[in-house]
Amino acid sequence: MLAHKTFLKKTRRGKILKVVREHYLRQDLHCGWKACAHCAVAAPSEASVEAPLNTPLTPPEVSPCEAVASPHLLILDTNVVLDQIDVLESGHLADVVLLQTVVQEVRHRSSPIYKRLQDLLAQSQRRFYFFVNEHHADTFVARRPGETPNDHNDRAIRRAALWYRQHLGWAVVLLTQDADNRQKAQAQGLIALSVETYVRGLVDQPELADKLAVRAEQAHDLTRPALFPEHWAPAAINRGVKNGQLLVGVFYLSRTNYTQASINVEGRDQPVLIQGLAHQNRALDGDRVAVELLPAPEWRAESEVVLEDDGQDPGDTITEDHAVSGSTSRQVQPSGKVVGIVQRKRRQYCGVLLPSPVPQATRHLFVPAEKKIPRVRIETRQVQRLTGQRIIVTIDAWPRHSRYPQGHFVRALGPIGDKATENEVLLLEHDIPHSKFSEAVLACLPELPWVITPQDESERVDCRHLDICSVDPPGCTDIDDALHCIQLPNGNFQVGVHIADVSHFIRPNTPIDLEAASRSTTVYLTDRRIDMVPGLLSSNLCSLRGGVERFAFSCVWEMDPEARIIQTKFHKSIIKSRAALTYEQAQNRIDDPSDETSVTQSLRQLMSLSKILKQRRLDQGALVLASSEVRFTVDSETADPIDVQVKQMRDTNSMVEEFMLAANISSAKRIFQEFPDCAMLRRHPAPPPSNFDPLVKAGKRQGYEIKVDSGKALADSLNAATDGKNAYFNTMLRMIATRCMMQAVYFASGTIEEPLFQHYGLACPIYTHFTSPIRRYADVIVHRLLAASIGADSTYPALLDKKSTQNIANNINYRHRMAQYASRASVNLHTHMFFRNKKRDEIGYVLFVRQNAIQVLIPKYGLEGTLYLRSDTDKSIAFHFDEDEPSQSCGDVTIRLFQKLRVQLTLDSSNVQHEKLVLRLVEPHIPGFSVEAISDDETSMEEEAPLAGSTPSSKIEANAKPTRKRSSPQNSKATPKAKKGKKS
Amino acid sequence: MAGYELLSEQNLRLDGRKADELRRIQCKLGVFGQADGSAYLEQGNTKVLAAVYGPHEIYRHGAGGASRPTLTATSNEQAVINCQYSAAVFSSGERKRRPRGDRKSQEMSMHLRQTFQAAIKTELYPRSQIDIYVEILQADGGNYCACVNAATLALIDAGIPMKDYVCACTASLMNDRPVVDINNLESTTGGPELTVAVMAKSGEIVLLEMSQRFHVDHLEKVMDLAMEGCQNIYHILDKEVRAHVSKRGSLLGWEAT
Amino acid sequence: MGSSEMRFVLPGMRICAQEDHYQSGCGTYVLHGYVYASLAGVLQIQPVMKGPISENPSQTSTQDLVSVEVHSPGEQTVIPAVGDVVTAKVMSVNPRFAKLSILCVRESVLVQPFRGLVRKEDVRATEKDRVEMYKSFRPGDVILARVLSLGEASSGYLLTTAENELGVVIARSETAGVKMVPVSWVEMQCPKTYNKEFRKIAKVIPENLADMAVDVKVLNT
Repeated sequence: MLAHKTFLKKTRRGKILKVVREHYLRQDLHCGWKACAHCAVAAPSEASVEAPLNTPLTPPEVSPCEAVASPHLLILDTNVVLDQIDVLESGHLADVVLLQTVVQEVRHRSSPIYKRLQDLLAQSQRRFYFFVNEHHADTFVARRPGETPNDHNDRAIRRAALWYRQHLGWAVVLLTQDADNRQKAQAQGLIALSVETYVRGLVDQPELADKLAVRAEQAHDLTRPALFPEHWAPAAINRGVKNGQLLVGVFYLSRTNYTQASINVEGRDQPVLIQGLAHQNRALDGDRVAVELLPAPEWRAESEVVLEDDGQDPGDTITEDHAVSGSTSRQVQPSGKVVGIVQRKRRQYCGVLLPSPVPQATRHLFVPAEKKIPRVRIETRQVQRLTGQRIIVTIDAWPRHSRYPQGHFVRALGPIGDKATENEVLLLEHDIPHSKFSEAVLACLPELPWVITPQDESERVDCRHLDICSVDPPGCTDIDDALHCIQLPNGNFQVGVHIADVSHFIRPNTPIDLEAASRSTTVYLTDRRIDMVPGLLSSNLCSLRGGVERFAFSCVWEMDPEARIIQTKFHKSIIKSRAALTYEQAQNRIDDPSDETSVTQSLRQLMSLSKILKQRRLDQGALVLASSEVRFTVDSETADPIDVQVKQMRDTNSMVEEFMLAANISSAKRIFQEFPDCAMLRRHPAPPPSNFDPLVKAGKRQGYEIKVDSGKALADSLNAATDGKNAYFNTMLRMIATRCMMQAVYFASGTIEEPLFQHYGLACPIYTHFTSPIRRYADVIVHRLLAASIGADSTYPALLDKKSTQNIANNINYRHRMAQYASRASVNLHTHMFFRNKKRDEIGYVLFVRQNAIQVLIPKYGLEGTLYLRSDTDKSIAFHFDEDEPSQSCGDVTIRLFQKLRVQLTLDSSNVQHEKLVLRLVEPHIPGFSVEAISDDETSMEEEAPLAGSTPSSKIEANAKPTRKRSSPQNSKATPKAKKGKKS
Repeated sequence: MAGYELLSEQNLRLDGRKADELRRIQCKLGVFGQADGSAYLEQGNTKVLAAVYGPHEIYRHGAGGASRPTLTATSNEQAVINCQYSAAVFSSGERKRRPRGDRKSQEMSMHLRQTFQAAIKTELYPRSQIDIYVEILQADGGNYCACVNAATLALIDAGIPMKDYVCACTASLMNDRPVVDINNLESTTGGPELTVAVMAKSGEIVLLEMSQRFHVDHLEKVMDLAMEGCQNIYHILDKEVRAHVSKRGSLLGWEAT
Repeated sequence: MGSSEMRFVLPGMRICAQEDHYQSGCGTYVLHGYVYASLAGVLQIQPVMKGPISENPSQTSTQDLVSVEVHSPGEQTVIPAVGDVVTAKVMSVNPRFAKLSILCVRESVLVQPFRGLVRKEDVRATEKDRVEMYKSFRPGDVILARVLSLGEASSGYLLTTAENELGVVIARSETAGVKMVPVSWVEMQCPKTYNKEFRKIAKVIPENLADMAVDVKVLNT
């Protein structure tokens, strides 16, 4: 072992520091070829702990590429990995040596690509070998004075390539996109090619060429006029930010108008408005951008126009005519233009190919499913195959002269409209990890048959004698909670909440734990569940099924008859659930006076306690909000939806809910007390008063005053606001209130002040999630903390580190949000499938009035649609928009907020990618605009039906988990369902 | 995943060492004529000079000084150990004026005193004082350890009877795997740091310190590795001492036989 | 000298089991029945010599009683111990005591001096109450003394000269500054001026040139 030193200079806070670090060079690093005789050490075996990522190379016998005659190894330059990761992932390149120099640079430059590279290295069949060249005595290259890091890295790569050639005696091909590097390598006698040359030379992989990314320098064509202003250089942006000329923030494209965007700048209350494509200057949704404010006279108000980019390729022109039509009555907003992109947030996009009208063309337009993403130009030779398919595309560059960004094809998902394909799109678009569990993860599962050992028995409290039962929605297979209640001799009650002991099976830092942490939540789609943990755990070993012995984490209270908690105890236990009931069954048992079994009796006691608990909670100002939730009746054969109805709520739902809430609050208190710095908690911040403006306005319109100064006042005034004539009015008010709410989030207790811990919706000062560890990772962390606090389990460093807890919380928050969006999207998908070839007249209510449209809520399906107020046929129909009212009137017909309408629903499948529900007005009748009703009697019969299922009191929860799973009470106001992303 | 990957999948640390490898240690005894005993030690980039004076009469003035011995009843039965730790202004990346006797060096001095109080046969020198001065010339993590190791050498050089060698070593936990002898980068970006000083032969622990808590389940393996590190350091020191003693001895004609 | 072999030892190294005939000498210590080295140096095993300081004259069976010692290269650091004869220089005298600076302990020269004190009552064994300090020591005198105790922390070791062999060995005359010669138990004479000055004189015994004799020799040269 030879010690060497590198000298680095580093500036931090303006000071120049000289940092001297040691750099040890080793002789014992293996070259990666299994049969290498020159390497002194044993080749890393696949199972070895030392190098789990390294898979031995095996020499190819025949060169797979025309460009190189002999069998060879590939060595990649950094730019190849960064630009062409899709090609690497395609599976056609093998025997690749990834140098440490390259991997580190990739890690430094782009963490998503680094992650993908790591995954690649982990695949054993791919024969990618990670070579630690910088610590190998023969390949280490010291940096020369004055040499740029880039040149140094290139030199290190060439050195390693030379070493490999000499060491193994094979041809070594250096793939690099850098012409200069290529030249130097060739001068040293190496074979150096560009990826394009190599890939085109691959004998049997012609379609791989499609995956080649377009490089910026190729894409720039200086001969054509530039459509967009040039981006500033990073240094200029830094300077601009420093002297206040520029602002930096995240770019959000408007959902309704593609020419309009807003930028949330840290430290500014008001977002900066960007109008027009030229001002957007090639920024994509989610990018961090630098903006320059326009002079104040050019500031505009947000446009109310709903605009979609739906045309064919207009060529490289931008038309700006409709962009600036902000209504003058509204407040103008600071407006600006994007001058540079600080950090790109690009990912792969799903979408469809829009074939070029020119036959035999190789350049085509790709339309992403995400409307906020512009179309992408791609090059492919497989148009025939890809037309009608959902495909994935990556954006490579967006040259100044091009109307659209340029990208390349990655892979095809399947035919459009196919449910499997659409689900896949949905999952990809919401960044939901849904691949099969890897071998490493499955290896962490306990062996079957699983038995309870005497050791387990000695460590746990035996609760098998208790009459425990679970109450869940029908068809629920991941039962994570069960209850019991017995009366104590002193007249008090012992109430136990038993939660599946997931943390017993998922040990910290095992592959299964990391996977669960990454997934963070089980995602419920209408017809599919994407588990957070493998099915063996979620549906079997952890699931508290009836009649089998299971491990549980119990929270046991002693409550007096007024449901006040006298004492709280936590312990791990073994339980045997007497029955896994559905809400309906439980309700029936409670209601059946002849049923005197102990399970039923304890259910009755639980029910009466829960009513007291609920009343107390409501008295404290807990909110009851509303949203619509639907359930599909699914055809058992085709799994296509055949009917839609709003979910029913029973008292038993709320019973279970109350105890879960209580258990969560007790756990939160306990872990915060034991771990004041690193407890995983959940908070729901009080929304700023301005959020409530639409609600207050809507209430005033109907003559009610909605007080929003406290949660309690809000709850009371919402209760008071009922309209005898319009029974749905209150529900709608609550739905609007839901949209005023902030998002509830997980956090580590040490990161913010204690007063901020409050949960606004539940009106409690501290809250967490404890009761659903099978489907939420936050609960697993809470379980671990609780277990450590009672001495049942050990801690580990990350658990006690508030930073890492916060990181976990951030990931969970993100995943939860995406899971909700995905669930909603799934409901939409099924709604669309339901409406295929159907036409229905339904009752709807006006939820919002916009400049050129009204939002209509259709309670029966729990869906919300946009009714565009313009006639395709008769241009004379003009609506007058009264913003203060708000109302839309045409002739003598006025449509106001909360008004009951009758609308006709059809599915517009003209756009294959985005099937749209089209609403047409039936009643009130506006000549020339309204359509005729299909049949009057059909709709009138159903008129009152929806109200039963959505009475406000039963709408405490708002979690979108259609059909499969009980919506969790814990999520109630925390994650109110909003269809239009109104919340931050 | 932010920041550095302290321990890569290839089981290599940032500086190229494996988890159980020490940094390079170089040392030399008797580098400093004026003192009764002295030593210079490099542990990677951490460089320390140690000088030992005494045993001599106890200084009466107790003014200032990090851990000046106070004259207690025990000083009648055993020697008083006076340690003074200081770091040169140029020892770390940022040039900083450190007042002698700031809290950090006071604490360090105290730890050193406790360590050597246990190792030196102080009962041989009642009513006298032994001074150990250590100066960090360059700091790159594991300062305490380097100081202990250097001071041990200096004490041997001074011919002060000790029960045993005292060797110190750090260990930490990265991705739940123990790593030994952590450098500055690893200690500032990494996890908990466990410092242990042991009597090399008997394995008796003289000092044990942890910078932050981690679970007791991991303690054993981290401790084991730290102890192993101490043993390895001992062998390195031992070799150097033998060479030194035989060289000095040869001047006295010991090598005759 | 009965050193059997040349062996390097290092602190903490186990040398041998502590058996009846092995005695732990300097540079070693005993723990749990074994002798360990506390210094880095060479091992020396030598028979216990019956020296003048040996306090245990009953140990007569010396045929195989050996001392295990470790000698390190360079000077051995020593400090005065109770019973040691030390060589000291008188720093100041007052009616109750004389302050001394200890320079040598037995035959070892100290690198740094230690402080010592001879009280009036410890000057001589007889007629203690008639002792006058000024007639016993003068600043600058070199004396031999034995360590009585560690004394007070502030004044240093407590010494005594109440033996015939202890007391002033070198003194210079007040007027001429020349080394004086003893003429009686209590007087010294200047060879130049023939003035006599009072001292507590040490009797240097020629036939028993033990440690102290060496000391005197060292100081005389």
